[in-house]
Amino acid sequence: MTARILPREKGAAPLDVVIGVMAFLATLALGASLLAQRQAESWRAGLADRITVQILLPEHETLGRTMENETEAALQILRSTDGITDVTAMSQKDAMTLVQPWLGADAMVKDLPLPQLIDAGIQPGANMNIASLTARIKAVAPDSNVDDHSHWIGRLQSLANTVIWAAYAVLALIAIATASAVSFATRAGLEAHHDIVELLHGMGAKSGFIARAFEWHYFVSTLAAAAAGAGVAALAFLLAGGLEFAGVEPVPFLPPLGLHPGELAWLLAVPVVSGLIAWATARLSVLAALREIY
Amino acid sequence: MARGSKDGPMVRPDSGLYGRRIMVRFENVGMRYGPGPEVLRDVTFQLDPGSFTFLTGPSGAGKSTLLKLMYLAEKPSRGLITLFGNDLATSKRSAFPPLRRRIGVVFQDFRLLAHMSAFDNVALPLRLAGAKPDDYTQDVEELLNWVGLGDRLNAVPPTLSGGEQQRVAIARAVVARPDLLLADEPTGNVDADIGQRLLRLFGELNRLGTTVLIATHDRSLIERSSARELRLVDGRLVELRQPRA
Repeated sequence: MTARILPREKGAAPLDVVIGVMAFLATLALGASLLAQRQAESWRAGLADRITVQILLPEHETLGRTMENETEAALQILRSTDGITDVTAMSQKDAMTLVQPWLGADAMVKDLPLPQLIDAGIQPGANMNIASLTARIKAVAPDSNVDDHSHWIGRLQSLANTVIWAAYAVLALIAIATASAVSFATRAGLEAHHDIVELLHGMGAKSGFIARAFEWHYFVSTLAAAAAGAGVAALAFLLAGGLEFAGVEPVPFLPPLGLHPGELAWLLAVPVVSGLIAWATARLSVLAALREIY
Repeated sequence: MARGSKDGPMVRPDSGLYGRRIMVRFENVGMRYGPGPEVLRDVTFQLDPGSFTFLTGPSGAGKSTLLKLMYLAEKPSRGLITLFGNDLATSKRSAFPPLRRRIGVVFQDFRLLAHMSAFDNVALPLRLAGAKPDDYTQDVEELLNWVGLGDRLNAVPPTLSGGEQQRVAIARAVVARPDLLLADEPTGNVDADIGQRLLRLFGELNRLGTTVLIATHDRSLIERSSARELRLVDGRLVELRQPRA
């Protein structure tokens, strides 16, 4: 076996610690973007292809209008409409359950005139004319409204996109910081090993030979440091997933923090990309430094 | 000793292919570091293929600078340098590594790699030339035996004495049988017996065709030889002695 051109460094250099911490942050950012993506998809899937019809209590029941009559008429229209797959009128008990977290469950609340909610499914891909459907339902139930959730889906989608792009921006910043740190460390390493570089150069070593010694050295050390940082972050996601699996209540208002196996595999990209950044930066730095030597 | 490289078969500079080309030629070469005074002034000389030359002069006369120009570590401030028939001023940078691999250098401060064994230090020029360990292991071990370090193959330089380090440095400079051997005070740290042994090694290499230039203060070494002597005084070169037949 041939000897190493560069001496092996003893212990973890400060650069390794910096790279490990940055890989940890990058992995958290990547995991967060994956979670945001999944959550946005579940929001979209939960609301898309469904409409909710709300029948309010008529203001003038004396004209023979009752909420029950208008609900029955709306149900018939929905059931006879092409593209509607299922129609369910929500019971008053279920409606009470929906408002309970905000209004409580005392007797006064039970007397509130809650609207009748109808949930209907739309065949995926069906070209439903919501405006026409709304007009037909309003003809039988003037105090009703039809919600196809497009407004909410749009807002949730843009919120999720903001979270995803913010995570990407953090990732990009960390990648730039990693590349800068590795570039700085490589230059410092070149300075520290200047005698070796000069000797090899003077003995007729090609620039590629010297660059290979440095790029391999920094690729391996960065890969190891980044793998350690990413490993800790992956462990944190696994732990969060384990807690949720064990029934511990997740953080309020946040989606489940555990990553699926497929998503965890994406985290491997952090050490690999870090290593490649170190490899490329080391090569370019060494070649640039060698160009300055006669 | 090993021979050849992946750049193609090495041919002696004085062989038919090279004709009567000159190994090294300096024409009115001047050298200054930054804005300082000229260290070398109007240096003009040439080394013929297969010649053996001593370079002498007091400390600070510019011997090391002259050697640096010859092994392409520095660029002259003015003048022309021709090496192995190549005008360095018009040669591309990519042409320099093969030229450097044809030169063996014994540095005054040895410049051994401290983390490598004596064996690996000596084998380094052969690795740079693309040779595989199987091809050079025997040659390197034989050469280290010859310089009296057969039992220190795996020793790293910090554990070697000054004289032992110097012999490793010399073995490294000659292992690839360079066309041009430059040595800066190569016998400075060894006793007289070892000094004579090393001089015989240089002579043997010279007989095989290597052009040798030794910068030294050691008059006894020069007096025992019939080789040409060039002397540097205040940056100017004078020829003190033509080679005796």
